[in-house]
Amino acid sequence: MITRIILVLLLAGLMACQSNKGKLDAGDFEVPDSVAEAASQKVSEEAMEEIVQNVSSPIEMAALIKELGVPFSTKYLASTRNVDEYHTNFQMAYNLGVFGADLGYLNMYNKNTQVTDYLTAINKLADGIKVGQFFDFTTLKRLATNNENIDSLLYISVSSFNNMDDYLRENHRGHLSALMISGIWVEGLYLVTQVAEAKSDPLLTDRIGEQKINLNNIMLILNNYASQPGFPEFIGMMNELRSVYNDINITYEMGEPQTVEKDGMVMIVQNEKSIVHMTDDQMKTIIAKTKEIRNKLTSI
Amino acid sequence: MKKEVLLLLFIMFTGFTALHAQAPELMIDSCAAAAGSNATYLKDFVVILPAATDRDNPPIARFPLVLSKSNIYRFSICNSRESGGVAVMKLYDSNRMIFSSYNETTGEESNPFNFMCQKTGIYHVFILFENGKPGQAVGILSYVTK
Repeated sequence: MITRIILVLLLAGLMACQSNKGKLDAGDFEVPDSVAEAASQKVSEEAMEEIVQNVSSPIEMAALIKELGVPFSTKYLASTRNVDEYHTNFQMAYNLGVFGADLGYLNMYNKNTQVTDYLTAINKLADGIKVGQFFDFTTLKRLATNNENIDSLLYISVSSFNNMDDYLRENHRGHLSALMISGIWVEGLYLVTQVAEAKSDPLLTDRIGEQKINLNNIMLILNNYASQPGFPEFIGMMNELRSVYNDINITYEMGEPQTVEKDGMVMIVQNEKSIVHMTDDQMKTIIAKTKEIRNKLTSI
Repeated sequence: MKKEVLLLLFIMFTGFTALHAQAPELMIDSCAAAAGSNATYLKDFVVILPAATDRDNPPIARFPLVLSKSNIYRFSICNSRESGGVAVMKLYDSNRMIFSSYNETTGEESNPFNFMCQKTGIYHVFILFENGKPGQAVGILSYVTK
């Protein structure tokens, strides 16, 4: 009996040691040339993980805004006042993502006074959907309160969200991961569109237009959970945004990458370029539609 | 006595697996910290690869990611001390390799390396071990502040 149990434990251990987040390939591989159109069929768990990985980080949106010299403004942030009114898993998971994106914006501008409110709200919502164990509230609050290492604050914030997302998907609660990812993305788009409304800049226009790629990925994820409560209405709203994006063209200019050395490090400069073709009207419609979706889902 | 032996084995075993489960987290922490002060952590790629059975086709882990135009990204790779060889990180655009952290011809290692992205789209990171040796590695994607 003991031998059997030891054998089972050893086997379990070996399987645990083989765990691998990446897809293991042995040689040849197939890589899609472009993002696939959202499909109505069910997507496998493995494919879902790939799609989720394909959604870019909200930190990049906040960093762009800061690098353009746009002053910090609390008017872009979602209010944390409603946090106690989010009762359904849908509301909690979605708004967890929203506050996560806002936290990235606050961290990027080193606004530690306001950060505490958002950390508290995130902690509450993370506990609500039972992923609070991945959010190191105590450490983050200490870093924010004592105005300590901003790099650590950013790192722990981002990795906490990555861990929450991994856990949700690994524990068959992918619909909550989908909502969290969507909340992060919509809030990031809201931030950048609000800035673009006040300040015209080709970098902002490009970044907004390029979100066509991320939106296609998000629609793939959401459509996979179309039967979950709250999803049909949300998918409907996102499809309206998508229909605007469908008319935006992205073209490419070919070029070979160059390797240069900068500040003692190898830098690969890509010479192939993507060019977004978006009219002012399309931009206005995206700004309005994003605001509508964001305000509807953050209100109660 | 049998129960005690079993309990002892169980504690030893769970302790052992817990240590191994924590190791990637520690590797991520140290590898992200080593990416540089102007780099903000975005994602990590954890791999445990077995030894190659065929040297021409070493085991490879693949991770997709979206990179945005006008951003500079930093790719770093760290392997565990127990790994048999050097972990290599390769960046692909579609099915074309953009850069590898290890030059097989010269043996030169470029880790970390920066990538100035000019085309928003889906890219892929591949991680493998030099000469198909077994090992554990962590890749880090960071955003480089301009």
